[in-house]
Amino acid sequence: MINELYFALYAIKKNVQSNAELRTSFIANIIGMMINNTSFLIIWIFFIRSVGIINGWTAADILGLQGFSALCFGIVFSAGGGIRHTAEYVSSGSFDRFLLSPKNLLLRLATSSFGVSAVGDMLFGVACLAIYATLLHTTPYQVAFICVLVILSTMVFLAAVVTVYSASFLFVDSNTVVDGLFELFLTPALFHGGAFRGGMRFIFTFVIPSLLIGTLPVEAVRNASLEKLLLITLLSFAWLLISFKLFYAGVRKYESSNFMTFGS
Amino acid sequence: MKQTRLAQKIIRTQFKDRIYYPSRLVVDTIRVIARCGILLILYSYVFELNNGTINGVSYVTAAWSMFFYFAFSVLVLRHISQAIMEDVRRGTVEILFSKPISYLSYRMAFQVGKGLYSFLVIGVSGALVLALLVGFPVTATSMIFIPTMIVTFVLGVILSLLLYSIIGLLAFWIEDINPIFWTVDKAVMILGGSYLPVALFPTYVYALALYSPFGATQFITHTVYHTWQTEWYFKIGMQVFWVIALGAIVHIVFQRAKQKVSVNGG
Repeated sequence: MINELYFALYAIKKNVQSNAELRTSFIANIIGMMINNTSFLIIWIFFIRSVGIINGWTAADILGLQGFSALCFGIVFSAGGGIRHTAEYVSSGSFDRFLLSPKNLLLRLATSSFGVSAVGDMLFGVACLAIYATLLHTTPYQVAFICVLVILSTMVFLAAVVTVYSASFLFVDSNTVVDGLFELFLTPALFHGGAFRGGMRFIFTFVIPSLLIGTLPVEAVRNASLEKLLLITLLSFAWLLISFKLFYAGVRKYESSNFMTFGS
Repeated sequence: MKQTRLAQKIIRTQFKDRIYYPSRLVVDTIRVIARCGILLILYSYVFELNNGTINGVSYVTAAWSMFFYFAFSVLVLRHISQAIMEDVRRGTVEILFSKPISYLSYRMAFQVGKGLYSFLVIGVSGALVLALLVGFPVTATSMIFIPTMIVTFVLGVILSLLLYSIIGLLAFWIEDINPIFWTVDKAVMILGGSYLPVALFPTYVYALALYSPFGATQFITHTVYHTWQTEWYFKIGMQVFWVIALGAIVHIVFQRAKQKVSVNGG
């Protein structure tokens, strides 16, 4: 286990070094993504100014929501950017090289690529959460809540991404299918959390875990709610377990379609 | 004439290609449901909380405005930027330059053809579903609604292609256009009235949407507001202005870009 983690860290380090070679592009991607994320913040703040406060959700909560979502997106897609290429690897046959590797399959796949722009998401997420904590005048107890919830929402995000990209093994034209499924998961996660109620809230918590990465963590921090924290903890572990099962079930469906890309 | 025939042929070929891959239509439908469908459900709740109107705008108007934005986005005209960038990176731009068709005309026709099938299917079926669920917008009964909507739609398509082509052409000078693409794309998203209908914008943002090319690409979302009856000629005029201005910029940038190409082939 420790060896696997060492390997993952080594692979990430090499990926970062390789990407940082194109320095201008590297920095431009990070700044560009931060500007890109700011747009969602602007939209929802305008929304609150026009519509008013809905179910207690203020502009500060929107900041928290974008912070949680961007941070877990950034962590998963920077360090584990390879998961995003699963469909490509499967359709081109280059997934073979991961199967032949003595390392953990999912870890090897995840660390095969590094998402530079996701670093921008990560920085944006940290900045948003820092401002959110300041605006909320958080107690040390709530700060601890935020830290724990970042870990949990990252787990849920990872689980959702692994689940969605496991569909790559099931479809011929999987690239477009997984992109659509991922959007179905991500888009509601970026929406104003206060507007989700009843059936919608149930679906996007238990069926598609979109609200677990931002909306529920924000509500848990605001109310220092242990019940919500417990619910998110249980669901995040359950989703992680399910996603790993689905991934390895998907791998069993994989048929090599090698295009002479072995080792590339 | 020859150019037009070739463009039609490209659009037809792309259209047929899309018909043979139904999974792409399914994905486009999922995307519209994920974005627009969920947004409409959320807005129905928000309008309900505000007794049916916000800033004098009814739910029906807001719903149609957002639907027009998302239906338009199914055309994926913005992807022309990435297509040009890929051509430059892979070197295929050299081959395409040697063809007896203008490179940009080819790319634009290709992009229109790529999204047309999904746009027609999702646009028509989505409009029917929305009409059944919430009814038609009040401006739909006006005589000028359909003709002006078609004109503003066509101008919006041309404007989007020109705007995103400029970003794509920057790939001749910079290695990665994505950061610029994201910035422009999000400007279009905000000022076009995607998640927040234009009628709910603060005054200064509305002015930005009105006078910038980013907002002008999405003037189709303005057709459902009652102000359209009196402002349509001004807004169509703005679109014509931006088409001419961006057309001139595309021409200049493209001429400069062609000088940057060096063919190294064997």
